[in-house]
Amino acid sequence: MSRVGAVAAPVVVGVAGLAAWEAVVTLGRVAPFVLPAPSVIGEQFWTSREVIWRTALASGANALVGLVIGSVFAVLAALVASRFPPVHRLWTPILAVLNALPIIAVAPLLNNAYESTSSLPRRLVVALVVFFPVFLNTLRGLTEVDPTHLELMRAYAATGTQVSRFLRFPGAVGYLCVGLRQASALSVIAAVVSEYFGGLQDGLGSRITSAAANTAYPRAWAFVLGACALGLLFYLVTLLIERLATPWQRRHAA
Amino acid sequence: MSAPVVVSDVTKVFNTGRPDAVTALSQVDLTVAAGEFVSLIGPSGCGKSTLLRLVADLTAPTSGTVTVDGLPAPQARAEHRYGIAFQQAGLFGWRTVRRNVELPMQLRRMPSADRRARAEELLDLVGLADFAGHYPAQLSGGMQQRVAIARALAVQPPLLLMDEPFGALDEMTRERLQDELLRLCADTTVIFVTHSITEAVYLSDRVVVMSPRPGRITAEIPVSLGVRHEVTRQSDTFFEYVTKVRRALRGAPVADAP
Repeated sequence: MSRVGAVAAPVVVGVAGLAAWEAVVTLGRVAPFVLPAPSVIGEQFWTSREVIWRTALASGANALVGLVIGSVFAVLAALVASRFPPVHRLWTPILAVLNALPIIAVAPLLNNAYESTSSLPRRLVVALVVFFPVFLNTLRGLTEVDPTHLELMRAYAATGTQVSRFLRFPGAVGYLCVGLRQASALSVIAAVVSEYFGGLQDGLGSRITSAAANTAYPRAWAFVLGACALGLLFYLVTLLIERLATPWQRRHAA
Repeated sequence: MSAPVVVSDVTKVFNTGRPDAVTALSQVDLTVAAGEFVSLIGPSGCGKSTLLRLVADLTAPTSGTVTVDGLPAPQARAEHRYGIAFQQAGLFGWRTVRRNVELPMQLRRMPSADRRARAEELLDLVGLADFAGHYPAQLSGGMQQRVAIARALAVQPPLLLMDEPFGALDEMTRERLQDELLRLCADTTVIFVTHSITEAVYLSDRVVVMSPRPGRITAEIPVSLGVRHEVTRQSDTFFEYVTKVRRALRGAPVADAP
């Protein structure tokens, strides 16, 4: 498919989908609490743009801080686990099980554990949610090393430090990026959803719940749209970081 | 600059003391003179790769000794007395072609300007000067293997160990790389593992034939074809050597030299 086609096809499908949505809602007389028309949501988005911007900044800051903290801890934990195999054997199964649990469930507990003026509980939830994909991917990158490469490093009489520096770390960068990409989408979800359970009400999540509680459905949807945009932004930024950090992966086609 | 290799009375048993113990090599003696090109040939499981790995100190003998350049194999490895290439080029995907060639020099803490110059010189020798800035994934298999050879020669080792480096390449590329290899390592001792009879004969001063269960050397065939060029591959003498090696591989007694 040509470049134009690659961009045009999803745009056409998206526009057609919106048109179909609009038609179904207007012609089918769908009640607005079930599903408002996209035109109504768009109108609400425009009139509430300042609040959406402000709350998106708050949620975005929570997501970003949580993402950074969670990722830093995850990379450190992966380094320790890959360096000390007994730690790896002990931690990794436990962490894999924890990863299967709905971390977001601890949000109300953390919200209650801190003052209602603190952004910390939401950031902690994000950090917890982000930790696992980054940890597991990075650990995989650090431990799954091509046997030929290891053999070669041994033939060069490379020291353990050199093997880490020249082989394991650079080899894990691609995996780390995949983990970050998964984590970036999760971070926004966690930041928004954790607000549903109390705590400081300055983000997108609290606006969605309060608009829905006041039966202002189009407004609730407008904030959902804001959350989508925020999630997309995070995803695109990590994608950009990935491209810059792993130039060898995109030059295949060049 | 080249180094002799002496393998004496080497036995290698994998899984020693267990019911699935396998004798990969049994009482093998092999002496490779400085500057000599020796090929190891034999069916799968004859221990030819194991023998190469013993010389490289990538695995230790169960009994017997291996010396490279007069040093025990572990010390020779620690002192970078050999370069090595495998069937997989084994390039680091995240490094450009030039930085791949620089790797062994970087591990020896050579100044960056020196290693850059040396890498460019080597890439020029293997005809890849224009690809210095490319990543391995952008190169064909033959080009990747050329980079691997350049990398193996980077620190000017007196010994080159090659484990079926051209095994995965097509015949045309293979023959071209054989000629390049002979040109590049004229003064280097080479131990070359291969499955191909013609390749062994064309490259070597001596072809060492091995047989499996347990792995041992069954014949050593000196090859004197003079300076190799295109005509060599079609000469009668070449085919006589090929027949001789083939017979040795089948276990027939080796006739006198032609």
